[in-house]
Amino acid sequence: MINRKEFKKYLLQIKALTERNIKLKLRFKYNLIISLISPFIFVIMPLIILSQLFEFDTQFGNWTINNFLLYQFLAYNIFLLKNIISEFPNQIRIEKFWKTIPSLIIAPLNRINIFFGIFFSHLILIFIPFTIFFIICYLIYPISFFTIISIIVIFLLIALIFSGIGLILGIFAISNENILGILVFIIDLVFWASCITYPFEIFPKILQEVISLNPFYYIFDFLRATWIEDNIISTIILHPSNFYILISITFIVPITSVFIFNKVYKKFGIVGY
Amino acid sequence: MNRNIIETFDLTKRYKLKGRNKDIFALNNVNISIKEGEVFGLLGPNGAGKTTMIQILTTLLNPTNGYAIIDGYNIIKNPKKAKAKVALMLGSNMLYYRITGYDNLKFFCNIYNVPNYKEKINSMAIEFGLEKWLNQYVENFSSGMKMKLALCRTLLLNRDILILDEPTLGLDVKSISFIVNILKNSNKTIFLTSHDMNVVEKLCDRIAFIDKGYILKIGTKEDIKKLIQSEIKIEIKIVENQEKLKYELNQQTFINEYINTKEGFIISLKNRKYYRDLLLILGKFNILKVKEIDLSIEEMFLKIV
Repeated sequence: MINRKEFKKYLLQIKALTERNIKLKLRFKYNLIISLISPFIFVIMPLIILSQLFEFDTQFGNWTINNFLLYQFLAYNIFLLKNIISEFPNQIRIEKFWKTIPSLIIAPLNRINIFFGIFFSHLILIFIPFTIFFIICYLIYPISFFTIISIIVIFLLIALIFSGIGLILGIFAISNENILGILVFIIDLVFWASCITYPFEIFPKILQEVISLNPFYYIFDFLRATWIEDNIISTIILHPSNFYILISITFIVPITSVFIFNKVYKKFGIVGY
Repeated sequence: MNRNIIETFDLTKRYKLKGRNKDIFALNNVNISIKEGEVFGLLGPNGAGKTTMIQILTTLLNPTNGYAIIDGYNIIKNPKKAKAKVALMLGSNMLYYRITGYDNLKFFCNIYNVPNYKEKINSMAIEFGLEKWLNQYVENFSSGMKMKLALCRTLLLNRDILILDEPTLGLDVKSISFIVNILKNSNKTIFLTSHDMNVVEKLCDRIAFIDKGYILKIGTKEDIKKLIQSEIKIEIKIVENQEKLKYELNQQTFINEYINTKEGFIISLKNRKYYRDLLLILGKFNILKVKEIDLSIEEMFLKIV
């Protein structure tokens, strides 16, 4: 159990890491701006295709002409958060080649603080576009204040999950970049099969079976349902499995990632510079 | 008597190289002890094991065998407490070039929980002559300034043990002399590696020579000089009868070689124990000067390795 003094120390360390990450990012502002715009590219194609499909008054599951725009803009925000996954290995790899990583490894620093440092700095950096698209979503499909809070909490939980995955990639950026490449490919596949931008029902049966094994599909579906149904309690009651998956993955992934980070680092150390 | 603050016990690091059956030893049963307040230098050629030693002492690398104790804490069993005792400087690495000097120092002060860091940073920047550059990106610093900033960072962390890898690499004489003075007056236990023999000579109380993972010699500067100077060089300046003296010395078996100089010659004595015999011969002549030539640490190092 950490005492108050230690807690204060941890907060100061997280603040320092967050501040440093933001300053490093702001050194090259155009790169930052491009990284905020690029997720929109992933949304444009589904927007065009779905707008054409929905012209014929069709419906795919709960995706309709009334809500597909909302879902696409929610998808943009998910993509903004998803960038946090690559942020971990990118930053850790850069630090490896800058040779600043030893300074963090030998510092009296809990790994979880590095985790939160990257987590908060990413949230701060995406705050403006995220908020703009959140407001656009609200204008398209207004919801109650309580639902707004619920949606923000769900987004934060998703960001925590993504950070956990990012940390796992991060340790392989330090210790084994071969494995890192494989993991990035697997994660891309998982996201491709998670129905962020397309309705589940549009996929062929065999792919639907694969998608139904993907926890991210349930998490993103829960986010959309929470917005549309505008009542978190009834959404939890109507989609209990989605809710349990979200909560359990939120706890499992970050804790597992810190565990894997420590284990892999202890075994392999810094490799490749 | 000062206690041992760093001790290593049979410290070994073995690597398996791709395509080779034999293991390579970066460190091989290294046993050293460093006393509190001592400045200890580790000298060796490239690939001798110096940086591996530093990485193990700072828990960045696990040894294959053996262990080290840092201020009472075992680096294997208690790495967190062991590393909490040291501040590490890896040349001008460990700095973020894309943020300012001040932001670098502030970041590390916050991570290491250094109280009143603003005042400390400012006073240290003045002491190091970095005050005008503190708010510039580190990428714009000269090598000397980067090294000074790295040293500032290390000293600000307020640890009793400084572990420094090549703290003067690539610096001019003025910057080297500045860093040597700062370190000399720091009153800390310092373990450093360097290629710069002058730095080691000026700074270190004791020196160890390492090559291919083995510690070849450990001792004070004087110990090592004595050890090495079993064969010593002596410069002799003579007013007259130079050839006669040369002839007489030539008859002796304890003289190894002669090198002629403008005003005399340099002889190489096989062993210090023949000094008396030499002086007896020299006493017969009108000698202007007899001087033992000091070996620089560089020469000693080359002799040992």
